[in-house]
Amino acid sequence: MSTALHAPQAATPGTEAPRLEARGVTVRFGGLVANKDVDLAVGSQQIVGLVGPNGAGKSTLFAVLSGLLRPTSGRVFMDGEDVTGTSPQKRAARGLARTFQHPELFSSLSVREHLVLAYRMKNAKSRIWTDLLNFRGFASSPKAEDQRVDELVESLQLGAIQHRPAAGLPLGSARLLEIARALAREPRVLLLDEPSSGLDVRETEEVAEVLKSVVRDHGVSLLMVEHDVELVLGMSDAVHVLDFGVKIAGGTPAEVRRDPAVRAAYLGEEIEKPAVQRAEAEIEQGELA
Amino acid sequence: MLSYVLAGLGLGSIYAIAAGSLVITYVASGIFNLAFAAMAYSVARFYYWLLVEEGWGIVPSALVSLFVFAPALGMFLYAVLFRHLRLRSTLVKLMATVGLSVALPPLVQLVLEQPTNTQAPGLAPRPLDVFKVFGSTINADQLATYIGLVVVLVVGVGLLRFTNVGLKVRALVDSEALTSLSGTSPGRVSLGVWAASATLAGLAGILLAPTQGLSVQSMTFLMSAAFAAVVAAKLRSLPLAVAVALVMGVTTNVLEKFIDPSSEFGAVIKPAIPFIFMLLFLLFYALRGQAGDLVAGGALDRAIATQGGDPSVVSAVTGGSNRRILNPSVLAGVVIVGIVFLMPGMLDKFWSGLLATGIAIAIALLSYTLVTGEGGMVWLSQITFAGGGAVLSAELVRNWGWEPLVAVLVAAVFIVPVGVILGLLTIRLGNLYVALVTLTFGSLITTLVFRRDPYYNFGSGQPMPRPEYSTTNDDFAYLALAVFVILAILIVNVRRSTAGLAMSAVRFSENGAKTLGISVVQTKVLVSGLATFTAAVGGGFIAMSNGSTLPDSFDPAGGLVWLAVLVTMGARSNIAALIAGVMFIMMPQVFQTYVDHDYADIPIILFGLGALGLALHPEGVVAQTGNNIMSLVRKITGRRGSDGETPVPPGTPGASGPVRSETDDPLLTPATRGEAATITAGGQA
Repeated sequence: MSTALHAPQAATPGTEAPRLEARGVTVRFGGLVANKDVDLAVGSQQIVGLVGPNGAGKSTLFAVLSGLLRPTSGRVFMDGEDVTGTSPQKRAARGLARTFQHPELFSSLSVREHLVLAYRMKNAKSRIWTDLLNFRGFASSPKAEDQRVDELVESLQLGAIQHRPAAGLPLGSARLLEIARALAREPRVLLLDEPSSGLDVRETEEVAEVLKSVVRDHGVSLLMVEHDVELVLGMSDAVHVLDFGVKIAGGTPAEVRRDPAVRAAYLGEEIEKPAVQRAEAEIEQGELA
Repeated sequence: MLSYVLAGLGLGSIYAIAAGSLVITYVASGIFNLAFAAMAYSVARFYYWLLVEEGWGIVPSALVSLFVFAPALGMFLYAVLFRHLRLRSTLVKLMATVGLSVALPPLVQLVLEQPTNTQAPGLAPRPLDVFKVFGSTINADQLATYIGLVVVLVVGVGLLRFTNVGLKVRALVDSEALTSLSGTSPGRVSLGVWAASATLAGLAGILLAPTQGLSVQSMTFLMSAAFAAVVAAKLRSLPLAVAVALVMGVTTNVLEKFIDPSSEFGAVIKPAIPFIFMLLFLLFYALRGQAGDLVAGGALDRAIATQGGDPSVVSAVTGGSNRRILNPSVLAGVVIVGIVFLMPGMLDKFWSGLLATGIAIAIALLSYTLVTGEGGMVWLSQITFAGGGAVLSAELVRNWGWEPLVAVLVAAVFIVPVGVILGLLTIRLGNLYVALVTLTFGSLITTLVFRRDPYYNFGSGQPMPRPEYSTTNDDFAYLALAVFVILAILIVNVRRSTAGLAMSAVRFSENGAKTLGISVVQTKVLVSGLATFTAAVGGGFIAMSNGSTLPDSFDPAGGLVWLAVLVTMGARSNIAALIAGVMFIMMPQVFQTYVDHDYADIPIILFGLGALGLALHPEGVVAQTGNNIMSLVRKITGRRGSDGETPVPPGTPGASGPVRSETDDPLLTPATRGEAATITAGGQA
């Protein structure tokens, strides 16, 4: 799809432009095409899943959407406005937050300090400069900041480790901390890269509940890369499937579940339990033979 | 014209050998060898010893120096140092080579002594033969230099391109991990690379000595000039490095045809050529978005790379999260400041004068606490900013009659934009570029400003009086200590402020910081500006303490020693800066007075070795001692540690897997710590 076809569309009266939209995004690393002509939109208060096998280009697309990588061609829009050339900082200021497949934590900062910093970057960015002059580094935190940080600490069950440095946290805690840090930024769109990785079943369910509540209560839109297919299909309003950098399907979870291309490329026999059982039986017979 | 070109090719050939050696070593080992100058000096000094002091012939002296001593030195250094750095962060690698550059020359001088006459013979017999080439004359030293470069290129390229050894080296460059999996020993290949690197450094040193002198300073200047070619080659392209080095050498000499070198402009432009080249290439790459620290190795190498071990990182992790106002480190600080406060009353005039200078240097060292400890960057021009503060404040006092303390503070404000501009030019390119550019900048300013009249004034510089209310050594020591404490409190404020949190964020994860809305460049430039101010204030105080600017005391080679001393004590501790400053000045005098005059350099060697020890104790001596004392106190009182040292509480999400305390091994990789592992490409999508 050519770039010219992807000129920003003004939101027609009565319809709201997607909070985040990729149009015809292509990313090439030399001869490797990591994303090819990918379209994707995340509407207001929508949960959108992005799935695909390893190497499908999901993290590359996340990097493009969050501004860490410039696409070779194609555009990225936030609320209908072209942000393709803007920095990650600018996109953060417009309400985009994200987590990473490998948590990008600040090892020397405590869990609580991560949230404090994220909160201030949203609500008191000028403190980067003013704190140097008015010695607020020695003063206690404002009440509103403490309150918001306490809420996040509590809702993501980080209380027991809130004063620990991030270095040395187990992967599950690190993931929760990244989610909490992103939420402290009070985002309008949240990109989550494998949020359940490293968590057990109960913790995954709890995180899913937290995420649903931020969508429901705070109007946040979610775009989620996740290997736990059942989690994605269970939570999402829409799901997109990538394979070898190409979007091979998109639609409601039910539509994606039924799509033969998806089943062949990725979901395959994984959600067809009888088929799995058949395969296991065949393997067993082979071993016995 | 041809004679200028031929003379320029001689200088360019030396630059080319140095630049080529730096590039080959970097691509083959991942270590940028800031100790190149020290290695060049050591081999050249050994050659001088054999040739002049022992009376050997040129050929046997050269053969033994270049093919026995130099490879042995390279292999020894690999065995004791470089092999431990292979998987370390850029900062640790740089700091270890800084330590080596500080320790090696005085070690050599301890054995061989510094020659009284630095004019050393090269590889050509004396008196020098002169040859006619196309109507122009070249001397035998120049011919030896051309031959040296040709031999290096032919042998080097031949080895790398057409031999099995070369194939292994190139495989190692692409992926050390995969090379070792294919049955090749990376250690053995690296051993050879370091042996070759030391030989090339020695060759450059021997060739340089006849024209520039056999001294660490001249070798450091050569190295910093060669950095321009290395930056032009984006640290990796050998042909480009050699070509740019040759063009630089030719340009430097050809300019003499058009600009009188003894004129004011000629004297300024000639030494500035390497920096101008570097600046042009930096701007070119920055505008094209092509530069930046390159990620070495393949995906497997990146996955197993040790990002920890960074002095600022480890000390930050082990002690950085304690933001209570009254904590053990604050109490220790009060005790140490109290002891220093009592010292002037107990010392005689001579020693209290040294103490005052030590505290003044401690002020300048606080700039490293900011820029390296907080910002995680290696700036090698802090001593130049200090010199700038000294020279400018002395000029304000001399020409305008300003009150000295006011002059120091105002001069420091004027120096800040220099640091900010350097930061803006280099920071987005990465840590390695920051180190290279700042060292070259330091050499440039030393040549253009500090060593020129009226600022130089036969080495004594310009007078810089102390304030009227602190003319005695004791009073000045108290004034310097008061300023040190004020700046230290400001640094603590920075650390605890939102800016401090943002700096920590940027240091540990630039991507994480960016997506929070933090500007990486802005944050690093902020800390660079603060550090520049601090260094300049320190420089002003050093000048006030000495009563004169003494421009030679702000040589970039001395800056490496400053950095080594501070890092040895602790890169992130204000108190470590105070102890480092006092020890830097007093320890050599203690050795000279109470041990032996010949052993005055022993403390410098120890400081260099201390910086080398970073690989084992990244937190520095002071922080390490503090931690040991706290552990002992806890053991005696039976108390448990703070939050940061207790295991993850049961029930913490994801805590079912094995978790180690950070203090178990400060050099654990983020990946092995289960956090913040960054795979920049090729990760699971």
